[in-house]
Amino acid sequence: MSVSEDTQQLLTEIKRLREELAIKEKHLHDLQTEPCNCKYLENNDFTTDEIIRYSRQMIMPQVQIDGQARLKRGKILIIGAGGLGCPAALYLTSAGVGEITLVDYDEVELSNLHRQILHSENDINIPKVQSASDKLKNINNNVRVIPLKVHADSNTLSRIIQDDKYDVVLDCSDNVATRYLVNDVCVMNDIPLVSGSALQMEGQLTVYHHNSGPCYRCLFPVPPPPHTVTNCGDGGVLGPIPGVIGVLQALEALKILVQLPDVLSGRLLLFDGSTTTFRNIKLRPRNEKCEVCGVNPTITKLIDYEQFCGASAHDKVVNIDIITFAEQTDVKDFPQDLQNNIVIDVRPELEYKMCSLPGTFNFPYSLIIKDCDKVRKFVESKVQDGVTDIYFLCRRGNDSQRAMLYMKENINFEAVQYHNIKGGLHAYSKYIDPSFPVY
Amino acid sequence: MPVTVNILFFAQARELAGKSEAEFTIETPIAYSDLVKRIVDEFSLTELQDHLILALNSDWVWDQEILNLKPADEIAVIPPLSGG
Ligand SMILES: [Zn+2]
Repeated sequence: MSVSEDTQQLLTEIKRLREELAIKEKHLHDLQTEPCNCKYLENNDFTTDEIIRYSRQMIMPQVQIDGQARLKRGKILIIGAGGLGCPAALYLTSAGVGEITLVDYDEVELSNLHRQILHSENDINIPKVQSASDKLKNINNNVRVIPLKVHADSNTLSRIIQDDKYDVVLDCSDNVATRYLVNDVCVMNDIPLVSGSALQMEGQLTVYHHNSGPCYRCLFPVPPPPHTVTNCGDGGVLGPIPGVIGVLQALEALKILVQLPDVLSGRLLLFDGSTTTFRNIKLRPRNEKCEVCGVNPTITKLIDYEQFCGASAHDKVVNIDIITFAEQTDVKDFPQDLQNNIVIDVRPELEYKMCSLPGTFNFPYSLIIKDCDKVRKFVESKVQDGVTDIYFLCRRGNDSQRAMLYMKENINFEAVQYHNIKGGLHAYSKYIDPSFPVY
Repeated sequence: MPVTVNILFFAQARELAGKSEAEFTIETPIAYSDLVKRIVDEFSLTELQDHLILALNSDWVWDQEILNLKPADEIAVIPPLSGG
């Protein structure tokens, strides 16, 4: 969307004020956390304010002052500041963990806000780790929050792990390659891994490599074929689902730090939000033949995880190009005349119902390849009406290419030329009309 | 001897099977590999067959195991979730 001058001016001013605020807050924090020699406290680990702040958990026999001291000495690494990472970091910060490092390369987008609860409208386009750490510092300035805006890969993660000694790692990532990477890093550095995941109405949670329990590779030695993996961008997710799992990740991390028993290791928690049921699956113990945590591991240093999984280490869609140059139509040449031209939108029906271009027709790609009779009859009738050009459209211009190829191979009419709208509705919104929602 | 058990589908298995649970009649005793094959064939899960956990009444099933199934046993089909 184009940003007006007023908006730009306000954004700049807000940014300046934020920086000023951060300096003043730091000053206040330094003043408040000066070592205290309070005569009423047995040890000087805590200030009077800290005792008050954490009292509701410290008076529990499971925590006590020793448990709180362990939390304060604890260092946690969180991979991903999204739907899982936000609620997890929120509770860990509130609980008084000593140091929390956040790793995420993305910036906040409007479509994140329904589930990534640390980010707000003012944070759009700001790095997620920045937005998250600002909020966390407001909640508990005793915690050292370290935002790292880096893409988690073999190089960056091994450096991060070397620089600091973490007690627990939280996998709050959104893709398979990063999950294998984080697993291997944790096994090689002997750190327990609290792994959460969520999609649509379901969540999964377990703790890997803890108390001689299994690792991710013990359970899933082979990554799934990329086309069978759905991400939140495509499959969608209801906000409270990662919320529930992220909060439980924080719980398991706190239990590990405080050294409480019955950590969720060797067990897999399945959460089904559609029926609001939790199920505990007893897992296998560590696999002695596991390639990374077994007796004779074959993977002893980090590998190329994108190559290993055949998929990128992010949840963005990689654009494909499977048709000829001549068949690609730039979105700027989107047909004006929708009498002699037909535009077929191949998105799922529910997405088409949410938003669509007037005058287009919806034939979902999944239905075209399942049963092409309906679309064949439709095209046939349009051809009889004199239509000569048919355009395929979808969200990003990938499924529309697949649909077009399928049509070319299965429903070919001499008189008709097939075209693909390059870049799909994302391109339409970018170059033609920004009021069409990019989702 | 055939028994009727309940199959529970999770994550991608639920999407491919098009349902979250199903009754399934199957021979017992049955080897793990035969059980997996029968389930993936019946519920169109072939592409997931090397990427899932099977649990019998919430317990991990070993890949060498011979299972003695009883009527109304619950078999959960669990592929990993990776979103977040
Ligand atoms: Zn392992």
